[in-house]
Amino acid sequence: MIRIETEPWSAMVAHARQIYPDECCGAMLGIAENGSKTVSAALPLENAFAGPRAARYELRPEDLLAAEKAARSRSLDLIGIYHSHPDCDAYFSQTDLKNSCPWYSFVVLSIRNGEFHHANSWLPNIEQTEAAGEELIY
Amino acid sequence: MPKVLIPTPLRQFTAKQDTVSVPGATVGEVLGALTALYPDLRKHIFTDEGKVRSFVNVYLNDEDIRYLSKDSTAAQESDTISLVPSIAGGSTTTAPPEAAADPAALSNDEILRYSRHLILPEVGIEGQRKLKAAKVLLVGAGGLGAPLGLYLAAAGVGRIGLVDFDVVDATNLQRQVIHFTSDVGRKKLDSAAEKMLAINPYLKVVKYETALSSESALEILKDYDLVVDGTDNFPTRYLVNDACVLLGKPNVYGSIFRFEGQATVFAYQGGPCYRCLYPEPPPPGLVPSCAEGGVLGILPGTIGLIQATEAVKLILGIGEPLVGRLLLYDALGMRFRELKLRKNPECPVCGEHPTITRLIDYYQFCGVPAPNAAAQETRVNEGEIDVTEVKAKMDRGEDFVLLDVREPHEYKIAAIAGSRLIPLGEVPKRLGELDPKADIVVHCKSGMRSAKACGILRQAGFERVRNMKGGILAWSDSVDRGVPKY
Repeated sequence: MIRIETEPWSAMVAHARQIYPDECCGAMLGIAENGSKTVSAALPLENAFAGPRAARYELRPEDLLAAEKAARSRSLDLIGIYHSHPDCDAYFSQTDLKNSCPWYSFVVLSIRNGEFHHANSWLPNIEQTEAAGEELIY
Repeated sequence: MPKVLIPTPLRQFTAKQDTVSVPGATVGEVLGALTALYPDLRKHIFTDEGKVRSFVNVYLNDEDIRYLSKDSTAAQESDTISLVPSIAGGSTTTAPPEAAADPAALSNDEILRYSRHLILPEVGIEGQRKLKAAKVLLVGAGGLGAPLGLYLAAAGVGRIGLVDFDVVDATNLQRQVIHFTSDVGRKKLDSAAEKMLAINPYLKVVKYETALSSESALEILKDYDLVVDGTDNFPTRYLVNDACVLLGKPNVYGSIFRFEGQATVFAYQGGPCYRCLYPEPPPPGLVPSCAEGGVLGILPGTIGLIQATEAVKLILGIGEPLVGRLLLYDALGMRFRELKLRKNPECPVCGEHPTITRLIDYYQFCGVPAPNAAAQETRVNEGEIDVTEVKAKMDRGEDFVLLDVREPHEYKIAAIAGSRLIPLGEVPKRLGELDPKADIVVHCKSGMRSAKACGILRQAGFERVRNMKGGILAWSDSVDRGVPKY
């Protein structure tokens, strides 16, 4: 189960709407205990994908390293990654899966016509062959 | 002992510690010691084959060890090692079905088209599918790019990226056979892509209308399996080399000058790179370009096709690649020679302790002005004079020397009336023929050699020396169209 507090949640939705029609991406910082995660801060990051960004995103490892450092400095942990799917369902695509990392929760926000529509959280496996749905509360 | 920062999700395997100090002289040893200490951690970082998992980047302090010495990067007592995931994705709905349908499958039409390849056991269906799956980047759609583009397209390479920002010029037609007379004035990218697709409609051409730069190179190159260098200048050549080394992509190299050419494969599986051969660029102006020095039109055909052959061999994985050997071709003597190339352990980019771990400013490195900076620089340079001003001086009947520093055979093609010929190479020993107090305007074909001559004259104490901007080409454009361009 992953719970996103109101403040980071609003920031994530605002980020996704702002970057629409491109995909946005960012890091989620918070605390993970006994399988239950709480996100208390969202860190918008740049979509570094080289081509058209309407249907792709890429995170720079340097930015993730900085996010990890930012988390440590606030006594939080990097516990998840979020990105948006403009005018598309909040599913975990093959592209998402093949470029994922099993260490984190992946929250996908569906944005339709520039407005938030729905969201899901996913937990990819280590072989990057499938992702299980994770209960998402916001 | 070096510290390893443990990402949150992995701390369940390290007794909840967020930082673990373990011994080791290299990053590889430290990670080995870490996973020996916490065996449950191992499968989250390494595959069963012992390779670091695809989604894990290892950083030493702020540097990705892929750009340092990988596993053998030295780890100091005070160093911090971080495990950083590699994450991307996207909603692309078209990609998965495409991938599922095997993009390298051959249709019946393609089987017929590639029949002469398919009956070679060294190629066969499997090889032809490798070609179709291959992604090759051609840097430059000029002399070398022309034969490369045509033959790689015909051979069935599935995706060819083309990098070029030039337009077709009449002087290109003598050798750049991918461009036709009717293409003069068109973008080389459009002209080349059209011919390649006419030869093989199964090809996908990706056009990059840009001069490859330190900012764009890694982004463009990273999507390709191998890079074929068809550039004509040193800054881009070093840029292509360094980017290939950093990304671990083979660089199929070729270069041409007058009647001679060279070819080899750089940065291939631990082989030498361009910097192992030429650690430093030549001084600016020492090696003339094809525009300055001329080139036999057929020469790029020969060298380009050697590059194409090597590219196809690398894709197919057959034969003996031209690695660690520099092939030299002399068209006048019609001889091929081979020089052994060794990897330089001190090489700043591919050696044991690389100092170049990211792309640098290659124009500065080669001591030449960047293309867009050039125009600005000449404007502020007082040592230069415009062709129209030279014409005005003539018309006013001013007393000055117009010194032409080109070669006698160039003088025969085109010359400015009243000019005096002393080829650049003879200038130092013929200084006595000139009056040090005279007003001297120096010109060549485009302004490069005359700039060198101005430098020689000024050093010898000549005070009133100016370089005619743009050379005889500019003269033909702006003053006298009767003077032919060449």
